[in-house]
Amino acid sequence: MGAKGPGTLMQLSRFIPRRLYVSFSLLTAGVVLLAFPFARAAQKTALHADGTPADPFQEAAGKPAVFVFVRTDCPISNRYAPLIQRISARYRGKAGFWLVYLGKWASRERIRQHESEYGYKLPAMRDPQHALVARAQVQVTPEAAVFDAHQRLIYHGRIDNWYEDLGHSRPAATTHELDDAIQAALTGKAPPPSAPGVGCYIADAQ
Amino acid sequence: MTSSLRTFVACALGLSSVTAAAFAQRKDLAARHKQPTAQQVTFNRDIAPIVFHYCAPCHRPGEAGPFPLLTYSEAKAHARQIAAVTATRFMPPWLPEPQPAKFADELRLSDEQIALFQRWVEQSAVEGAPSDLPPAPRFISGWQLGQPDKVIEAEKPYTLPATGSDMYWNFIFRASVDRTRWLKAIEIRPGDKRVVHHANILVDRGQSARHQESEPGAGFAGMELKIESENFDPDSHFFFWKPGTVLKPEPEGMALRLDKDTDLVLNIHLQPSGKPETIQPSLGLYFTDKHATLFPVLLQLENDRQLDIPPGQKHFVVTDKFTLPVDVDLLAIYPHAHYLGKDLQALATLPDGSVKALIHIPQWNLNWQAVYRYANPVPLPKGTAISMRYVYDNSSDNVANPNDPPRRVVAGNRSSDEMAHLWLQVLPHTSPDMAFDPRMLLQEAMARHNVEKNPADFEAHYNLAAMLMARGEQAEAIKQFEQAVQLRPQDATANNALGASLLAAGRVDEAISYLSAALKVQPDNFDAQYNLANALVSQEKFAEAIEHYRAAVRLRPGDANAEANLGGALAETGNLAEAKVHFQRALQIDPHHKLARENLEQISGDLNHPQP
Repeated sequence: MGAKGPGTLMQLSRFIPRRLYVSFSLLTAGVVLLAFPFARAAQKTALHADGTPADPFQEAAGKPAVFVFVRTDCPISNRYAPLIQRISARYRGKAGFWLVYLGKWASRERIRQHESEYGYKLPAMRDPQHALVARAQVQVTPEAAVFDAHQRLIYHGRIDNWYEDLGHSRPAATTHELDDAIQAALTGKAPPPSAPGVGCYIADAQ
Repeated sequence: MTSSLRTFVACALGLSSVTAAAFAQRKDLAARHKQPTAQQVTFNRDIAPIVFHYCAPCHRPGEAGPFPLLTYSEAKAHARQIAAVTATRFMPPWLPEPQPAKFADELRLSDEQIALFQRWVEQSAVEGAPSDLPPAPRFISGWQLGQPDKVIEAEKPYTLPATGSDMYWNFIFRASVDRTRWLKAIEIRPGDKRVVHHANILVDRGQSARHQESEPGAGFAGMELKIESENFDPDSHFFFWKPGTVLKPEPEGMALRLDKDTDLVLNIHLQPSGKPETIQPSLGLYFTDKHATLFPVLLQLENDRQLDIPPGQKHFVVTDKFTLPVDVDLLAIYPHAHYLGKDLQALATLPDGSVKALIHIPQWNLNWQAVYRYANPVPLPKGTAISMRYVYDNSSDNVANPNDPPRRVVAGNRSSDEMAHLWLQVLPHTSPDMAFDPRMLLQEAMARHNVEKNPADFEAHYNLAAMLMARGEQAEAIKQFEQAVQLRPQDATANNALGASLLAAGRVDEAISYLSAALKVQPDNFDAQYNLANALVSQEKFAEAIEHYRAAVRLRPGDANAEANLGGALAETGNLAEAKVHFQRALQIDPHHKLARENLEQISGDLNHPQP
């Protein structure tokens, strides 16, 4: 395991029994629930926009997995929509790429409407229990997380440095962490250091 | 019971995911069941009064705030955010420091209020006792002052791209009133309030902005715009909109005159939201029968000439100082810089040496610029020196710096240029024994100040000359107009003004030369056509004069003087039949036109009794 491993493990052990999570992702939900009925309360999972359980890592099928966490009512994550769409299109076929909607109001209909308004064409998930939030270690929307092909978290944090603080944005970003991190996941080069995003607190969305 | 029922209903309505609803409800109930202690901060008792007063005006449906903050559950869904943005004073947006001269509708939270938010969140953001909850704030839906007397909508919408830099767009509203009206208020409906950062109306009496439109009604881009005014009629009112603006009628006696041909130019600052937004603002005009009896003036301190900021300079200072020639009351103040502005300050040094802080913005942010009205007028006696001191940061530490890497920045209208402007709305004191309108003395002093500050300032020379003309100081006015023309030999307005003042002084040959120069640059300049025709008449060159009068009448069909003079020139050449037509037109436009009536009577006699 590289230096990134312990952080991820620690996070998992705090919130989700790692073994359970893995077995859940490999087996069908029904089997897991039957085998470990007591685990249901502890088990957290992301959902597809339509509400069915999602396992993006399995869907990524051995490719890097990229998540961008948004809220429909977060103006900063909304302002990033065209860029998020552009980056996701750039890596289509090379990495799994999901928009993860947070917040109580992220219903299937609301998500569909939001995607259409903002021109999103990448697949969307919901994370009402913050399963992905915990695994990706993100704090605000819009932050991104990049997992390499081995499902190791190699980057989490801001998309770029467009925003320095709330109310203080650059005319244009001068660093491009998300893009660099995806490149790193694809090439095995060193990812950029994690940098916190500026936007809306994810903890408020719980 | 009532409270939890109400909250439950709100949750159930607001959520369509059953999982999320159950989850949220459980959390809310958990928070509610905590018993408030004496030290405990609760929403109902401590937080709601602040949120209702300071946040809800914008954070409610249809307003600029990205989410509503009208209930406990809405506030709780953003609790950490609220604590964070109040701690840094990002919200509510209020840039000026506290000072003795208070502003109306101050939105500044006290340190105690900010601490309450922090404690509320630290203590799990509990709701508290239902009996503590103040009544929900009431807002007027629709037009704030009732149905306006006239609503005008922008002719064509503007579509803001999903992404890109901030956009400054200008819509020209043709006021199209049937007659001169008096405005007591204008409500600006800027369009989607979530993308409009601020909007400002400029009164354009000469329709001078129209030539910037590619086609009528199309609007045009531009952060700053210049309105030309032909007459001494200083625009004296701030019509400003920013998120949360509570519309107030102009003070008693301060109605704004709106003529038939007045344009209202709405300058809007838009910020892309991530999706294309179509903006089609409208204005609600509220009329009054009460004519203006008080005439405030907008004074502008500025020193754009000092603005030459080297790249990397973190602390670049620009100053200006203007001494009042008359007693005034200061009503409102509007500081303006672009993205490099950092610390903006204005002071008044009174004749007795005492100093009054007029405004101090220690962390300028263009996105939250505003017109600040004083809660009470600030009296400033004659001899008071008003000074501004603006500090700019052109280093890469300034994240708003439009240039990466920083480059030399000078004054200009683009958002990547800079500005150092301070507007003050003042009401000059008047008394019956004054020889001149104090507004003229203010304007003249302002123009003289600008000429001294910058001898190459074309507008200052022009404005000073115009004021001198108005005061009857013809010789000095001509000198100032000459300097304006020297600075801009291709400016039709200045050439026309110099020509007109020379004509008034009887220097007809020189006048003809400048008026012809004006027309060479701008053949559709009505004034130059009309003035040149008058000059030619004074040299008895009637045939040439008639051509220019005809051009003037074509350019402005409703001008009684041009019609009457065309008639006069035609009559001089013996064309009485056509002359009669134009005298009659002049009288149709202005039934009291003395010259047209006298001439019409004269030629009617001649027509009935033709000379042999």
